[in-house]
Amino acid sequence: MFLLPGLSGVMIFYLFPFFEVVRRSFFQSGNGAFVGVDNYRAVFANGAFVLAVRNTLLYMAAGVPLLMGISLFLSLLLRNLLQRRRLVSAMLLPMAVPAAVMVLTMQILIDRQGVINGVLTHVSEKITALPAFSAIDYLNTEWALVVVICSFLWKNTGYMVILWLAGLAALPKEVEEAAQVDGANRWQSWHYIIRPGLSGSFFTIGMLSVLQIFKSYREVWMVAGSYPQERIYFLQHLLQNWYLKLEFDRMAALTVTLSLVLLAVCLLLQKKLG
Amino acid sequence: MRFDRIFQKKPGSKTRNKTGNKTGGFGYAVLMLLCAMCTALSGCGGSQEEEISMGRYADREVKLPGAGYEYMHPCADGGYYLFGNGVDLTHVAADGTVSREKWDWEKNANIHVKFSYGVSDDGAVIFGYTPMFYSDEEYEAYAAEGDNRYLYYYVSEDGDRQPLNLYGADYKKATNLERFAFAPDGRVYAASGSCVYRINVESGETESLFATGEQVREFAFVGDTMLAVDKEKAYLYDMAGEKPLSDNTVLNEFVASHQNGRIALAVGEQTAEEIQEGGSEVLYLACRTGLYRYVWGGSVIEQIADGQMTALGDSQYNPYALQILPDGEFRVYFSGNYMAELYYDKTLPMKPSKELAVYSLRENGRVRYAGRLFQKEHPDVLVRYETGMDGDNAVSREDALKNLNTRILAGEVPDVIILDDMDMEQYADKGVLRELDALLAPYEEEGVLYQNIVEGMRMTEEEKIYGVPMTVELPLYYGEKKYVGDMKGLDELAAGAEFARAEHPEGPLIDTPYQSNLFDLMIPLCLPAWTKEDGSPDTESLTAFYQAAQRLWELDSAGMSEEQRRKWQQDVADLSNIMFVQYEDIYNIGETWIALGYMKNAWYGMTNLHTRMENYRNGYSTYKTLEDEVVYGRLTGQAGNVYRARTIVGLCEQAKEPELGETFMELLLSDTMMQKWWLEGHFDGGLPIRKDSLVSLLDFNNRAFAEVKGWTKQEIDVVYKEMFWPTEEERQWLFDRMEESDCYYRKGTFLEETVREVGVRVLDGELTPEEGAKEVERKTAIAMEE
Repeated sequence: MFLLPGLSGVMIFYLFPFFEVVRRSFFQSGNGAFVGVDNYRAVFANGAFVLAVRNTLLYMAAGVPLLMGISLFLSLLLRNLLQRRRLVSAMLLPMAVPAAVMVLTMQILIDRQGVINGVLTHVSEKITALPAFSAIDYLNTEWALVVVICSFLWKNTGYMVILWLAGLAALPKEVEEAAQVDGANRWQSWHYIIRPGLSGSFFTIGMLSVLQIFKSYREVWMVAGSYPQERIYFLQHLLQNWYLKLEFDRMAALTVTLSLVLLAVCLLLQKKLG
Repeated sequence: MRFDRIFQKKPGSKTRNKTGNKTGGFGYAVLMLLCAMCTALSGCGGSQEEEISMGRYADREVKLPGAGYEYMHPCADGGYYLFGNGVDLTHVAADGTVSREKWDWEKNANIHVKFSYGVSDDGAVIFGYTPMFYSDEEYEAYAAEGDNRYLYYYVSEDGDRQPLNLYGADYKKATNLERFAFAPDGRVYAASGSCVYRINVESGETESLFATGEQVREFAFVGDTMLAVDKEKAYLYDMAGEKPLSDNTVLNEFVASHQNGRIALAVGEQTAEEIQEGGSEVLYLACRTGLYRYVWGGSVIEQIADGQMTALGDSQYNPYALQILPDGEFRVYFSGNYMAELYYDKTLPMKPSKELAVYSLRENGRVRYAGRLFQKEHPDVLVRYETGMDGDNAVSREDALKNLNTRILAGEVPDVIILDDMDMEQYADKGVLRELDALLAPYEEEGVLYQNIVEGMRMTEEEKIYGVPMTVELPLYYGEKKYVGDMKGLDELAAGAEFARAEHPEGPLIDTPYQSNLFDLMIPLCLPAWTKEDGSPDTESLTAFYQAAQRLWELDSAGMSEEQRRKWQQDVADLSNIMFVQYEDIYNIGETWIALGYMKNAWYGMTNLHTRMENYRNGYSTYKTLEDEVVYGRLTGQAGNVYRARTIVGLCEQAKEPELGETFMELLLSDTMMQKWWLEGHFDGGLPIRKDSLVSLLDFNNRAFAEVKGWTKQEIDVVYKEMFWPTEEERQWLFDRMEESDCYYRKGTFLEETVREVGVRVLDGELTPEEGAKEVERKTAIAMEE
């Protein structure tokens, strides 16, 4: 009985709506006719879907390992630092910055007339040996994905560092110290003691990083709109645009598909890392 | 189905008794619960046919004695004063007698614009104003004590007048007083954005009474207590004891929860029969949600009239003043110089039995107006007009559309939908809109509407009509004959611009201070030509468009430096703020040699047509002197005879009240509606698509409206301009243009947004026209794929 309140909340706010989405994915949104798996077929045959999946996977493939790697590296550096608390607090700052401010900052930096182009132009003018630099419109060229990944890393690294530090703090110091006494070098300590001890954290941080990839859409949308450069056109753009175009049926099919994929990723990560 | 059958025990089903065997106990518990719910939901003890309660407040419009008023002061005797900038102080007695007080002295009083007013019951006036300057020295002397500050005048009930030089320990001259009120004892109170003052009008001494969080907009006097209300709070002040009183939480809560718009106040007395808790005074509060009654000192504020069912709920207006009339009636003066009286009608049902839901993305005055007419004609229907992006919230177009789509998804479909700035085809494609061919057939048979315009609205694969506009705008060029000649397409436009530039190497050529202005004018002329049969953009047409736009922009820019353009843009922005107009779609001549725009109405005549009365660069131009040299014509651009549709009416397929929706559409398309809206002085956009309405509107015989008031920028002076009504030939020209309009410009599409966005880069020289066209193709490719 003690589970009932929580369970009913989950049922009402998550499961029932999800079942409704599953139901709608088999019906046409306009006239409500049953269409079987036609909506799924339409989704998979859609060129924008293919592009969005490709870009999202690319973003994930680059963003998640980079985020995990950089944050782990930083946390290992910070681990034995006495003043780390202040540093870590400072690293959390990007999390606290409102999305609008972050977008404004990005625009100041990467605009055609922005700081980065200004600095590069100035440098190329000063150092004549360098080839002439012409300003780049980062968000409208192939650089767009790099910009998005950089902003993703900037925003999330601090938080991930904290999670890694928590994982590291849970490791028994004695084992490491004993290994050092036995002559283990840093690499051996990492490989045989720290890495296996962090396997639980790998799973949690991996999952959170994947989810953060999906959550970073807001900034991308704010900075580049509903139809950005094709490299940064993600699944959320597709969902959002379909919503505006009243393509509820295809949206439902895509949502169900995405949920299943995420579930599979989650299970896979759990199996491998958990 | 009967409950006993639902819970009938099936043969072989297991039951248990108290000792552990299954019984029907749980089933009976559920049954009881369901019964209780059903009883509760059905209304316990209610009869099958619910009795309809009768009686509610309705409103009737009050004809005002003139235009231009901004302020009303209700008098205790049932009369009232009206006042405003550029109008006489007007008294309307309780019996309706109108008397105006002409202030001849005002012309020499150096008053430029009056801003804030206060009038007493006996006609004393206090007002704030900004002065005129005839020299830089005068301006500097004024600005030394605060730029943009108001000066004040006091005119006594006898007509004695004196400039009011306010001073006081806590009063700064740079503080503008926005609101004045005369207390019953004759003392004058005023409010700035952060303080309430008492003013001695004889000496000008100004005493600070208490601080406020926001600008106080309303004052009321209840016995010795002054009530001042700002956007967030009600402040009480003991005028006898001269000290602020503690907060009234009932009033504070009310004010805090009614921040959308103003709250007008009036104080009355309870009758002997009405005496309730608290004192004998009653405070009435009028706001957008309705009319409320608060027995002074009591603990409750009760609603006596629902805003939605009266003019109070009209978001176009804000209640500025409230007056209590005999027999339980009320007079309300609204922003926009509109007045209505609320009266109790016993014959009306307390709550309308039906509801007509009307939706538009942005506020539409015509629809709002039609809603009021409809509700008057159908007192049993509540017209619920909703806008997705009203002025009180900061919802973006995209968010508003998302909200609408969510509601459509949930089955909350409006009955009537105004499709301006929405992608109509998308809603038609998804089965949200109802096809209107059958409903429009009678209009076609009778030849009432310009059928070519209606036919231009056909869309989707089935080629059906899903929306019909009330009015349209036609693209025009306008200018001196030698430059504009017989301009039609983009090439002639650019050639004319080149010729004009050769003769006039300096100054603007086309009235487009911003790049966006140029696109506002040009895109509708060309957009329909940019889409190939498969829906993809036609890059050849787009390249030609960008080439023409670039050519025009370069020619225009050749006459001025970057600095001059920035100054021009600033001037336009400043003037826009003063005039409260948007500098889009305007005709202008003077230093501008070629004007492009859209014919938005027939009211202002033809050869002298212009939607702005002033030329903001050269002072006021007299069109009369240019009359012979100026020609105009239809600009066709790339797409042919394009029209811009306004107030596009659509009906929803899943409407809850389809018949009411049809009736409402008929009203919108009626001659009454199309003419009435215009003749009542609403000049915003569009020529009616009803032939008879357009003919009537172009019949200017006996029209008294023969001059237009405007301001010059340099001298900041009021000037008047004579109007010229169109000749028969000119009228016929317009009818012919209406007859040939057959190409509907679909506003708000993704293609248009992309062309604009990329176009700015083309005009900036970042992309060539060809690259721009390719960029549009690339960007729209994803949208096409979707």
